[in-house]
Parts: sequence; structure tokens; C-alpha cells
Amino acid sequence: MKSPAMMTRRTVLGVAAVGAAGLAMPWVRRAVAAEPIKIGAPLALTGPLGSVGQQLKRGCELWTKVQNAKGGLLGRPIQLLVEDTAGNPADAVRKAQEMVERDGCTIFTGITLSSEALAVVPKLDEWNAIFVSSDNGDGRLTAESFVPNFFRANISAPMGARAVSLFLRSAPYKNFYAIGMDYAWGRNSVSVFESEMKQAKKNFIGSVFSPIGTKDFSTYITKIRQSEADACYVTMAGDDYNAFLSQAAQYRLPEKVQLLSEVVDLTVPRAVGDAALGLISSMRYCFRVDNPKNKEFVETWKKEYGAVPDNNEGEQWQALQILAAGIEKAKSTETKALRSALETVEIDDIKGHVAIRKCDHQGVQGGTVVKLVKAEGFSSPVPEIIATFPGDKTVPACNKMTFED
Amino acid sequence: MPFLSFLVTQSVNALSQAALLFFLGVGLTLIFGIMRIVNFAHGTFYMLGAFIGYSAARLTGSFWLALVLAPLAVGILGALFELGILRRLYRRDESAFLMVTFGLALVLTELIRLGWGPEALPVGPPAAFSGILMLMGEPFPAYRLFLAGAGAVVALGIWQFLERTRLGLLIRATSQNAEMVHALGIDVNLVRSAVFGIGCGLAGAGGVLAAPLVTASIGMAATMIIDAFVIVIIGGMGSFPGSLLGAVLVAFVQVFGEYYVPDLALAFMYLVMLLVLVIRPGGLLGKEA
Repeated sequence: MKSPAMMTRRTVLGVAAVGAAGLAMPWVRRAVAAEPIKIGAPLALTGPLGSVGQQLKRGCELWTKVQNAKGGLLGRPIQLLVEDTAGNPADAVRKAQEMVERDGCTIFTGITLSSEALAVVPKLDEWNAIFVSSDNGDGRLTAESFVPNFFRANISAPMGARAVSLFLRSAPYKNFYAIGMDYAWGRNSVSVFESEMKQAKKNFIGSVFSPIGTKDFSTYITKIRQSEADACYVTMAGDDYNAFLSQAAQYRLPEKVQLLSEVVDLTVPRAVGDAALGLISSMRYCFRVDNPKNKEFVETWKKEYGAVPDNNEGEQWQALQILAAGIEKAKSTETKALRSALETVEIDDIKGHVAIRKCDHQGVQGGTVVKLVKAEGFSSPVPEIIATFPGDKTVPACNKMTFED
Repeated sequence: MPFLSFLVTQSVNALSQAALLFFLGVGLTLIFGIMRIVNFAHGTFYMLGAFIGYSAARLTGSFWLALVLAPLAVGILGALFELGILRRLYRRDESAFLMVTFGLALVLTELIRLGWGPEALPVGPPAAFSGILMLMGEPFPAYRLFLAGAGAVVALGIWQFLERTRLGLLIRATSQNAEMVHALGIDVNLVRSAVFGIGCGLAGAGGVLAAPLVTASIGMAATMIIDAFVIVIIGGMGSFPGSLLGAVLVAFVQVFGEYYVPDLALAFMYLVMLLVLVIRPGGLLGKEA
């Protein structure tokens, strides 16, 4: 403790000024007492995955608005800090660092790409900050790259692939082919799927990978057709996914081959229309989940944005609900207390029961498989839930990315 | 699949891809021929064509009207850009054009994102070509056949335009010796505006035509502009028949290369470019430097 004699002139002046201001302006004292809880979201708002970043931003903004209307957390208002990273890992680290140093922010969410998250997590200890992931799929984040200040509220890529493969165990398809985008996620997801199919004694014929930015998929579609597979697993995202589905439909591929995928956003059927009909996919969050919390969430969302919430929007909401439960349990936003509270946090929310497990900070939650169908009131196909699996079946063992059975 | 039908369907498909590449490459090469500048915003005009096409098709309910209106709008915008900005820079060195057209690409991209949002948007093929044909016993989308035909018709049209019309003559003359054309009392600036507008309009048409295959999306410019540069380099900067040859060559190499050696899919186009640059540095039909 500093004795008064050791106080610098600047400190004395500062204290005096605050004191005087507090006496003169009573509202300042109230503001000081209820210092906002700052939540930093360095998001990929532009770049190839800009639409995902925009979804996460909407999720953060609506949650903050609703939570503040309820009085914030611990009697403190919530202040959301959003910065654009353009999907660049170096920028993500820099923007997060700025939030730490400039704003004193020690809570992060919404980092969009797994490559950005992998760049940020090694710094969390130095920053004394917590990061609750809402979107990062890479299995390594809860395995070899795991750090104690990282929490994953969302469904990971291995969990998504697992849900599809569990669904396929009882589905009539026998011969499988796979196409993926030619980079880490595409290759990783296809290899998880391949090993799952082999374990399930299905016939895995082969796979092909298309470079990111492929515009013409005709030769790949020809290969899928020639393979005589009755189902094809697709791991694509963004523009490539839309182009593939549009062209596959123009070649009438879905009439011969059932298309399957690890994850699908509502942006896909909105971009390709009926070309997405019949696609079977795992989905991290589906707005059609039937429970009262979700119904209320969907209504709130519709009122704010005039549309139903998408895959990543629901995931962002859930991540912040988990964070809020942790803060309330810890009765503090101090990093150490918050971390130990989050380690055992459980919520019943829009996707049902989610429990963070202590060993690798993964949120244990059920997996969902959907089929895209036509529905009344929607101009493009929408997901219909065709299968759900409990969390203990879809989450890999602690610090693992693959499954034993 | 019998080999012959594979060969035929993939060849027609390669021609349909060549058509899309040609729509971009021809404008790029004509602009370079006349103005000696590389238009970095060309891919963005292509993308703008797709987005305006999306809106026009929704408003009018007709893909064909969109295919007329969008290129027209993009062409006018291109001509205005030449008139308003590029014209002031002809006395400067080439880096000025590089900066300005690249800057325009960034600004236009952000304006498109503001106007149409970040999500990809659907553009369906016209009803008359939305079906599927049996080509040598193999299913083949009618729209791709239409694309190949449209490319051939437009290539023929541009060739006749360059050979037989007065403006075509002026364009050829200006690309050979602008000062002489100017000395003969022709307003060279007008020729430049016209060529820039026509080039951008063709890129816009390419965007509308590509949209049913790849949707109208923010990413479509970046992936296409590189291919267009490669075509122009292979064919020869400034050469109209060169851009046609380059487009066909790149499309065939990509389609058949992807099929037989998919792991090298990305490399084939550049291998061809490298080979051409080594053997004929000025491009296949270009003037030797």
C-alpha cells in the first residue's frame, strides 16, 4: 500500500479532481460505481468470410441490447467493442491487443476464423484475458493448441462431422464420395468423415479437392457422377459452396447423389435458392429448435432484424449466455474468478442443455442434422431437423479430435 | 462414360468457360491496346454487372432485360470514369493508372457491399435455358451450351465491329499510332472513352452471364481478374484475336487438367503462361517487345 507521503503530485491532483467532480456532479459517482463490463469482439467483418463476421456482430449487438435492457450484469452495463480484422490473423491479434491496452478489455468473443483464433490464444495468458469462442471450428483449439483461458461454447468441426456420420449409420446410403475445399479445414473434415465411414463399414470410394476460389465445378461434378456413389460429403464454405451447389443442381446431380455436408448457413439457400433443396447437413444452431427459450429468441431476433437468426447468430447468442452465466456465478469479471466459474458453467438455453467441461473447456451439447426443404412463409429452402444426437455421442474425448467407436 | 462423349461434353463445357473469360479478357486487352494502361478495376466492373443484373432481373422479371440493362449501366459508368478521372492522368506515368484503377476497385467493392449487402445473391438462368440436354448420352446443362454460343456470337460481332465500322477502324488506328490519328483531326479522347466504356460493358455482360453459375458475390471479382490477366498475357497485350485464343486455351487446359490431375488444378493455367512467356515473351499473337 502506498502511504500518502509516497503519492505523486499527479495522483494527488487526480484524486482531488475526481473527488471534486464527484461532489459537484453526483451522476459521475454513479457512473464510476457501475463501470461497464467490456466485451471485445475482433470480427472478420470484411474479406472472404465477411458474411460470417457480420452474423457474429449482429448476435453480439442484439445480446448486448437485450441484456442492458434487463439491467446489464452484476448491476453493471455491458459495453461491446467491435473491430474489423478482415479475417487476417495478424490483424486479429493486433486489434485484440489494442482492446486490452487501450480499453482495459479482458473478455473476448466472436473471433471469426479458426486461423485468427489460433493466433490469438497464445496471447491470452499475457493479456490475462478470457476468450469464449462462438464460431471457431478447428479441433486443435481444444486439443493440442488448448490454453486455460480459452472456452469453446460452439460446436466444433469434428462434432459437426460426427453428427452427420452418426446419422449415416442408420441411413440407406452405402457408397460415399467426398469433395472438399483444398485447405486445412476441407482436408481435415474429409479425413474425419472418411475414417468415420470406414468404422461404420461403409464403402468410401474416394475424394477430390478443389482450390479455394474455383468457379467451374463441372469436372468435379463429372467425377462425383462417375464414382457411382449414392452420397457425397461436401466440405465447402462461402462463394465456392454456392457455386458448387448451383452448378450441381444445373447438372441434376442431386437426383442421383445425396449431398451431405458438415455445416450450412441460411445464407447458402438464400444465395442458391432451390439448388440447395434436399441437402442434408449438420447445423450448429437451427432456428427451428423447439423449446420456449429458442422461440422467445427467434421472436426477439425477428423484431430486431426482420429475419430468422442464422447458424452463427444463434451460436454467438449462446456463447454470450454462457459468458453471462459465468460472470454471474463468479460475481466478478476478474479473469481468475471468471475462469474457474466458467469451467463448471451449465445453461439451458436456445439449443437446450450446454455444459462446459473442465478438462478442455468444450461446451458439451447435442448435435443436430437438418435437411433443406421448402416451407411456407420462406422464399428459399429452410432447414428441417431430421435427427438429433446427445452431447456424449457427438463430443470427442477430452483434448481429442477423433472418435474411438 | 464412353471416352468420346466425355470428350465432347467437356469440350463444350470448356467453350462455355472460355466465353466467360473472353468477356473479361477482350475488354482488358482493348483498353490496354488503346490506352497502354492495365485496368485493375476490370474484375470489379464484372462483379458490378452481376449485382446490377441481379437487381434488374428482380425488378423486370426478365434475365434477358437484365443482360441488356446491366452491361449498359456498367459501360456508362466506365466511360464516365474515363472522362472524369483517367483523362486527367494520361500525361503521368503508368503507376498513376495502377493506383487509380486499383483504388477504384476497392471503392466500388465497398459500395457494392453497402448497396447489396455482404451476402451472395441468386441469379437463375433464363427459363429457356434452365433445362438439361442429353449430349452424347450425358446430361449437360442447356445454359452452358448457351454460354458457348453467346461467346462465339459476341466474338464474331466484335471482330466485325473492329474490321468494318468507322469506330472500329479508329480503334485499330489509335492502338497503332495515336498521335497520327490525332494529327488527322480525330478526337482521340472520344475513342478512348468509347473503348473504356465498351470494355467495361463487356465485363458487366460477363458478370450477368456468370451469375447463374457462381451467384452474384463480393468474392467473384478477385478470382476472375487474375484469370483475365493471364489470358491477356498469353494472347498478347492489346491483341483482340489473342484474347480469344488465350481464353480458349486457358479454359481447355483448366477443364482437362482439373479432370486428369486435380492436385495441380491451380497450376495449369500458370504453366501455360510461363511456357508462352519463355517462347514468345510478347504473347502468342502479341507484338514482340
